[in-house]
Formats: sequence, structure tokens, C-alpha cells
Amino acid sequence: MLSEDSHLSREELLLSIDGELAPGDAGRVEAHLAACWSCRVRRQEMETAIAEFVRLEQGNFFFDIPSADGPRALLKARLAQAAETQRGPWHGWFGRVSWPIGWAAAAILVIGAIGAIAIRSWSARRPAALMAVTIPNPNLTPGATVLLSQREVCSETSAKNKAVPASIRRQVFDEYGIAYAEPRAYEVDYLITPALGGADDIRNLWPQSSSATVWNAQVKDALEDYLRGLVCDGRLDLATAQRDIAGNWIEAYKKYFHTDRPLTLYR
Amino acid sequence: MLESKTLATVAPPEVRPTSGLAIQDQVVELFDELRVPLLRYLSGFPLSVPDSEDIIQEAFLALFEHLGRGGSHPNIRGWLFRTAHNLALKKRLRVRRNGGPALEMGLARDVAIDPAPNPEVQLASHQTRERLMAVVRALPEQNRWCLYLRAEGLRYREIAAVLDISLGSVALYLERSLALVARAAER
Repeated sequence: MLSEDSHLSREELLLSIDGELAPGDAGRVEAHLAACWSCRVRRQEMETAIAEFVRLEQGNFFFDIPSADGPRALLKARLAQAAETQRGPWHGWFGRVSWPIGWAAAAILVIGAIGAIAIRSWSARRPAALMAVTIPNPNLTPGATVLLSQREVCSETSAKNKAVPASIRRQVFDEYGIAYAEPRAYEVDYLITPALGGADDIRNLWPQSSSATVWNAQVKDALEDYLRGLVCDGRLDLATAQRDIAGNWIEAYKKYFHTDRPLTLYR
Repeated sequence: MLESKTLATVAPPEVRPTSGLAIQDQVVELFDELRVPLLRYLSGFPLSVPDSEDIIQEAFLALFEHLGRGGSHPNIRGWLFRTAHNLALKKRLRVRRNGGPALEMGLARDVAIDPAPNPEVQLASHQTRERLMAVVRALPEQNRWCLYLRAEGLRYREIAAVLDISLGSVALYLERSLALVARAAER
């Protein structure tokens, strides 16, 4: 408790500095400080100690804190996966409806699923209208990079993929033997993203099927973000990142995210 | 020991989740805001940066699940620090059980760049940092955690909740720790 005659205790001084005193006590402490040079000096010493510690804890450590890009990309992927799990097909639904309605709905879903399978097997017998491309052909798209150092790659804060001109897209489709490509059926994508030093070159471009439901463009984007984070944190060599993503980006995803399937199903 | 009634009351901001993607966005936003403070705090355990990153990921996933179940908390920042603290304790226990080496607290950078023009001043500054770090390293854990949490801006009530100790203990540990830091800085 506060004493009116003696000097303030160190605890009282600290609470006063931190604004943790109740209003009544704060008034008395301030009044004492206004009259007492000795307590003001002690308070000043305490504030100096706080400043020294804050400089040590925040300033010194600051330089070695890795970039947030990689951890953020990983968290986003894991959150999306957790959201999928939470949303699971039966999660929470059966709990809210009565059993007869639930079973009736389940029966409708089963009939619907059988119908869908029948339609799909019928469709499969038709000639394929679209060619599904999830991994580029290494002979056509080996990947190409520009000569940039890790520092130069990482200093580029907005290394977004440039839009590919229509003439180049047509050339890519021709190379892959995709005739009459529906504009929305494929995304002409950079194999090695420019954010990792990928070149604006046809040898680095491939037609990624938009219809891919598992290993799709969003999954590759997540890998690219993660690899860039690792490279810019100095935890992965730029050349290794480029080589891994150009070799087989799906295998690279499995390797870096330690999983056999995408952490979430992006649609 | 101070009674809790002598301490000012602080109402921390409450985060109320909405739903679906909004929760994911909110969690990522909080991650951007609190990742570095959490990394700094966990460095005081001490834990390595990769271990700390793992713990932070787990803490934010736990937050997402908590909010996804419709939960809320009057002070999400305190909740995150507390969750990270508990996960760090578990991690450390696992490492010790598996016979892993105990990490020593050290300077993240041995020689921090100092703009002082004079090499003698630079040396003195470096020595002061080393001395301060030695003092912080030698503090009892609770004292050190209090110091780190306060440096990250947590109020006494929040610190008490994270460490599950009384308000009076927070004030006492901080006061004792700062007295030692002050002495080391003076020398």
C-alpha cells in the first residue's frame, strides 16, 4: 500500500510507470513524485532499465526474424484445410435435422450419386474434347530463368506473373497439340514463377488445365509463395527452388509441405 | 504484495468472429500482427525459431478452430500468448524427454550494427548488451516471461492470465527483474 510519509517503493514506481495503479493511488503517487526529487530519479532509472531491455529484446532480435511470406502461406493452406474438415459433408447437418428427414435426404443423395457415376461413365466413352494437363511436358517446358541473385529476386516485392500475350498462348497450345482451346479451359502458367526468377520465355510456359480439381493452379500458387518465403529467409537456395519446381512441381509440393495431397482442395 | 484492487482495470479489445472465409481472413490478419511479438516472446523460453514458428502455426490453427466452433474470447491477443506459452511448455517437455539439448539463450546477432562512430563506444555498447543478456538469461523463468510479455505490450492482467499467476506476482517479478536489468545497465 502507499505510504504518505516515506518514499515510494519500487513496486509503486513501476505500477505508476505502467499505468497500472488505481486512480486514487495514482493521484497520490503523482503528488509524491512532484515533491520528491529522489523518487523522480529512481523512477527515471527504472524507465532507463525498461528502455535498455526493450532495445535488447526488440532491436537485437529484429534482424534475424525470418520473412512472414512462407509461414503465412503455410498457415493459409492449413486454415483452408481445417475449414474443409470443419465443413465436411455430414458435419453438423445430421445433428440439426430429425432422423427420418436425414435418411430421406441421404437416400436422395445416393440415387443422385449413382446417376452422376452413370453420366460420367457415359461421358468417358466419348472422345476427349479437352486434354488434361497437370504437369508440363519437360521437352516442351523445361523451365527457364533469368540471371538474378537471391537478393535481387527477394528485393522485388511485387513480382507478379505478367499476362501472357494471346500470340504466345496460341503458340503454347500449338506446341501441346491442344486444338480449339477454350479460353477458360487452360491457364497458360509460368512453370518457374517470375517471383522465383522465372523467365518470360515460351520454354517456361505451359497450359495448366483449369478443370484440375486436386493439383490445380491455386495449389501451385501456394507452393510458389512458400518457396519464395524459404528462399528469401535464406533457408533454401534459389537454384534448388527453381530446379525442384521445374522438375515436378507436384513432387516439390509434397516434399516441402510434407504431404501426399494438397493441404486443401482449392476450387 | 499489492492487492488487485490497487491496479487499474484495462478492457482489452474483443474479437468476435463472423463466419467461413471471414474467420480465415481474420486469423491471417492477426497472424500478421502478432507473429513477430510471439516469436520474440518464445525466444525467451528459449526456443529455436523453427520450433517457435511451429508453435505459432499451432496456436493460430487452434484459434481458427475455436472461432469456427462459434467461440469468442474477450482478449484474443492474451488467448494467443497463453496458447503459445502452453504449447511451448509441452514442446520443451517433449524435447527434454527425448534427450534433446536444452537451448541456451543467446544474442540473435553477436554483433549488432551500431551507428556509433567510435569503435570504443561500439565495444562498450556491445558489452552492455552482453551483460544485459546474461542478466536476462539468469532470471528465473517466470520473471523472464513477465519481462518479455510486458515488453510486448501486455498489461498486468493479461500477463497474469497467460502465466496463471496473481497480479501481485506479476508486479513483483517485473520489479525484481527490472532492478537487475538496471544494475547491469549501470555498470
